[in-house]
Amino acid sequence: MKTKQLQHLFLRTGFGITPQLTNDLSKKNKKKVVEFLFTTNSFLPLEMDLSDLSIYTQEYMKDRANLMEFQRKSNEKIRDFNKLWMERLANSEVLLTEKMTLFWANHFVCKNQNIFFVQRYNNTLRKNALGNFGDFVKEISKEPAMLNYLNSRQNRKKQPNENFARELMELFTLGVGNYSEKDVKESARAFTGYNYKFSGEFIITKYHHDDDLKTFFDKTGNFSGDDIIDIILKQPQCARFVCEKIYRYFVNDIVNEKHLDELTSVFYKDYNIEKLMKFLFLKDWFYDAENIGTKIKSPIELLVGMQKMVPFSFQNTKDVLKIQRLLGQVLLDPPNVAGWKGGKNWIDSNTIILRLKLPSILLSNAEISIKEKGEFEDSFEKYHASNKNQKDFAKVTVDWDFFEKSFKNISFDEMKSLFLITAPNEGTETYLSHLIKSSKKEFCIQLMSLPEYQIC
Amino acid sequence: MERRYFLKQSALASSLFFIPGFLKAFENSHPNNFGYKRLVMIQLAGGNDGLNTVVPFTNDDYYRNRPKIALQKNDLIPVSDSLGFHSSLLPLKNLYDQGNLTVINNVGYPNPDRSHFRATDIWQTASNSNQYWQTGWVGRYLDAYGSNAYNAIEIDDSLSLLMKGENNNGIATQNPTNLFKLSQDPYFKNVLNHYNDEHLSEHNLGYLYKTMIDAKSSSKYIFEKNKIASNNAEYPNNQFANQLKTTAKLINSGLETRVFFSSLGGFDTHANQMNSQKRLLEIYASSIEAFVNDLKKQGTFNDTLIVTFSEFGRRVKENAGNGTDHGAASNVFIIGNQLKKQGFYNELASLSDLDSNGDLKYTVDFRTIYASILQNWLAVNDEQILQQKFSPLSFI
Repeated sequence: MKTKQLQHLFLRTGFGITPQLTNDLSKKNKKKVVEFLFTTNSFLPLEMDLSDLSIYTQEYMKDRANLMEFQRKSNEKIRDFNKLWMERLANSEVLLTEKMTLFWANHFVCKNQNIFFVQRYNNTLRKNALGNFGDFVKEISKEPAMLNYLNSRQNRKKQPNENFARELMELFTLGVGNYSEKDVKESARAFTGYNYKFSGEFIITKYHHDDDLKTFFDKTGNFSGDDIIDIILKQPQCARFVCEKIYRYFVNDIVNEKHLDELTSVFYKDYNIEKLMKFLFLKDWFYDAENIGTKIKSPIELLVGMQKMVPFSFQNTKDVLKIQRLLGQVLLDPPNVAGWKGGKNWIDSNTIILRLKLPSILLSNAEISIKEKGEFEDSFEKYHASNKNQKDFAKVTVDWDFFEKSFKNISFDEMKSLFLITAPNEGTETYLSHLIKSSKKEFCIQLMSLPEYQIC
Repeated sequence: MERRYFLKQSALASSLFFIPGFLKAFENSHPNNFGYKRLVMIQLAGGNDGLNTVVPFTNDDYYRNRPKIALQKNDLIPVSDSLGFHSSLLPLKNLYDQGNLTVINNVGYPNPDRSHFRATDIWQTASNSNQYWQTGWVGRYLDAYGSNAYNAIEIDDSLSLLMKGENNNGIATQNPTNLFKLSQDPYFKNVLNHYNDEHLSEHNLGYLYKTMIDAKSSSKYIFEKNKIASNNAEYPNNQFANQLKTTAKLINSGLETRVFFSSLGGFDTHANQMNSQKRLLEIYASSIEAFVNDLKKQGTFNDTLIVTFSEFGRRVKENAGNGTDHGAASNVFIIGNQLKKQGFYNELASLSDLDSNGDLKYTVDFRTIYASILQNWLAVNDEQILQQKFSPLSFI
């Protein structure tokens, strides 16, 4: 496979590709590479030690003070889990599963304050990331975090709460306009009585469940929640809706209807996510120029992508959270059930400045070299002497050795192409050519500090 | 057509032909001109308890529902026959007496949401409670009428949804010097100097460059204006007061900014509400007092409208922890020198006829307030920005 194609594939299915792997895989053809992507995938749950929370039993938390204490500790653990997830993204071998997990987290958007439920939900996403979409939706509908988030527990026979039923169709399966208000009302009745035990185990409270006939998409029956999901899956629109989201995330913000049709017909057959993704990555059009280097990286893609090239780790959880917050994407803390909009929406005056400045802040003491050929003075010393705030921004441990090793045999020109998936702006290209290229470290920072580096 | 180009062309044409009102507003936008209107939005984040802020001290239902946390008449600052201000709000009473304050009661919207995040989104986007909009109403104002990021400034480190439009965004800064320094890295300067904008319209990459160019010039402009301006009042020493101090400085500098946004957090008083609300309202009121004095001394109060809201009020009935839980409708404060209806705009809603959660029913949709401000203060097309038609109120 060509280097650009490999880079493209790995930016979309992961967070970029190292020079070594580029070298190894460039000898293989597309089919072999895609196979490689799928063979390295297995389910590896992301878990943290929660044993110190075992004292918080149901009985113990009847005391309000204990409950509040648990909530405080739980929130702290959720922040640690965020950091752990970031580390998983940066270091994982099971690339595609992790990228898909991130994708699904912004599809089945959910938020919870109980770390046990948060961890469980996160692993449900991971486990089903390449599985069967129908099973996936059914599991999601029974997750304690989701039952909580979309008020399923308040959904009772006499007083239905339509929140979950509505979002199930609007955001998870069909999209707005592809169902009626009556469908929302009737399907909400099928999910009445959904509940969970203290342990998180799903139960249906018989007493609150509506057992009467429901009419949904012109079918009448004594439907359960799972039946409703099966009827939804029969609508071709469901396959189309999910494929469109996958297309926008993995291929292009702008949808090519013909290509979407191809995906939809593959997916509708059996809702097998793995098959769909394999089909997509083998398609020639996936590698068309119009699909390469056209998307704006999400904050997480930006951060993790940097780590792929220059491994670094944050010393403190609070720094991870701070940076995510300033960039506009805090993992496990989506803005609302519609999730992050993505694309241009990531970018405003503040985030663009921080995005461009972040590589130097994290990796090189906030300094970006501007030494040009034929110049002997450090004209930027004055500027850099005064930016103490920036230097204290976050504590990181950087593994420059890894970088030096992996770029040892790579030329400056090759570096440019490995860091930037898109051809630089003409003027920027000229400017880069004027810069003195004596240090690969410096050049790496310079490349990462460009608007072009925001693109994937 | 590019907006900038459009505005330029329109300005050119305006000397000869009739031009629509909204363009005129920008035409006359030089801040030294008389009548450069500004809006300062303030959010009391966490859900301020409106009933203990403006207190119905003759209402039996109020005392019956709040045996422990109700405020007694002699602890209040009496304002009308039936309503009194919380004792921390003396500065607001002064504004009230001078005709510089309008209190709008029972502001809310249909099917209120009681989550902080959702409710804040609803207030900031002006959506219905079942819609998930991704742009704020100020952001859409910028889309339609803005030209630079500094047209709307949030005094914070990151930008709220309120200030985000489809194509244009405001800019956030807690400290104009820090933002300036961050954006003026010599490397960025060199890259942008070399940048060839022949392909500026180029999908996403062009957008990134355009935003960076604007960010760099906006932060420079804000920094330079801020440097020469000064404050003419003593502010209390707290973060919220500092935000207003920065806002006043920027207003008084003649910066071409239409909307400022700040927030004061901590109003989520589920437990032991009495002390924390007293402290927070004191911070709010004393900071506002300094802010208004500062503007008055520098002659900019006439053209500034200050709007204070909270994402929701709180339950009428107190809870077991000497606090209150998330509620619905609450009051909005409008402060300015051009108010048409001063004092109380409307009556407080019934405390016996509550919604099914035990919360006040709204009588004024918050978006009618936005519509009034857009139409009568900023002189723009409110329907285009709010994406719905609301009848403006007569307070301004």
